[in-house]
Amino acid sequence: MIELYPAGKRYTVKNDWLESNLGFSFSEYYDSSNIQFGPLRVFNDDTVQPGKGFGIHPHREAEIVSIVLKGQLKHEDNLGNSGIIGHGNIQRISAGTGVLHSEFNASNQEEVQFLQLWFLPNEKKLIPSYEDISYDIEQLHNHLLPVISRISSDRVAKIHQDLTLYLSKLEEKKTVNFRQEEGRKIYVFNIEGEITINNDSILKSRDAARITDTHEITIQGNQDSFFLLIDLPGGEF
Amino acid sequence: MLMIRHSIGSRLLCQTNRYTIEKKDRHWQISLPVDVETASRILDFQDELNIFEVKENEKIWYYSSDAQINFQSKEKQLVILADHKTVYPTQ
Repeated sequence: MIELYPAGKRYTVKNDWLESNLGFSFSEYYDSSNIQFGPLRVFNDDTVQPGKGFGIHPHREAEIVSIVLKGQLKHEDNLGNSGIIGHGNIQRISAGTGVLHSEFNASNQEEVQFLQLWFLPNEKKLIPSYEDISYDIEQLHNHLLPVISRISSDRVAKIHQDLTLYLSKLEEKKTVNFRQEEGRKIYVFNIEGEITINNDSILKSRDAARITDTHEITIQGNQDSFFLLIDLPGGEF
Repeated sequence: MLMIRHSIGSRLLCQTNRYTIEKKDRHWQISLPVDVETASRILDFQDELNIFEVKENEKIWYYSSDAQINFQSKEKQLVILADHKTVYPTQ
């Protein structure tokens, strides 16, 4: 089954420095029917104005992934990590027993757009850790490029959950296929452009699909598109 | 002021100025009066609570990693036994 979640139906938080479009219940938005999809608990599509951001705040027991789409995001935490990430970088924080951090737009001129995803970890009371990696943007073309996985490498960030997150830039009329083990789930978020899943379900910019009981899909670019796909474990979380 | 938030997504579950915090061995006992509805909302997420004591220039973050939380229905009193405390500046 492919369930579509149109961009326009997301809850939006907007103020003078932040626009946040929420894929799942978060902060002031609470919908008991939209808490999570497997271990995926938060999917925020954020735009932060120049020089602004989130001050020091804590996290625990979550795997937090940030994917910058435009601009630059500055991170600092109490583990001693600091850095600036942009398009082509992936940041992963394993909050574990607790981490304090801040996130700000590193630019005073340009806005920063980024996706922030939180996953439930497969183990509690982990030692907090931080990682950022660079992926090869050229490898995105008409190919599902893994950028976060349980099994890491130089260009794949490690996550403490049985999942793999892929990014892809699909040219118009090109297709990619994805197959997973039965019993698992797929989450697709179309970042820009327009794609069709299994000749049937059309995702425009910022639309999402939650896929269950369908373990092989074909994604076609109806126009040049940029999307992410997450191969998620099945079962209860 | 004391705030109890869901650790995933920061949903505010309770906010009050009526509370006490007592050090007990290696724990901090946080007690506050709540109604049944609020208690139920908090207990639904007892594994995933962050408790913040908000002061003028700092916040104190508590949590119970083993969900040691109890609602005394007769007294309508919520008691949380936290095993973690971190102080951080608000600025």
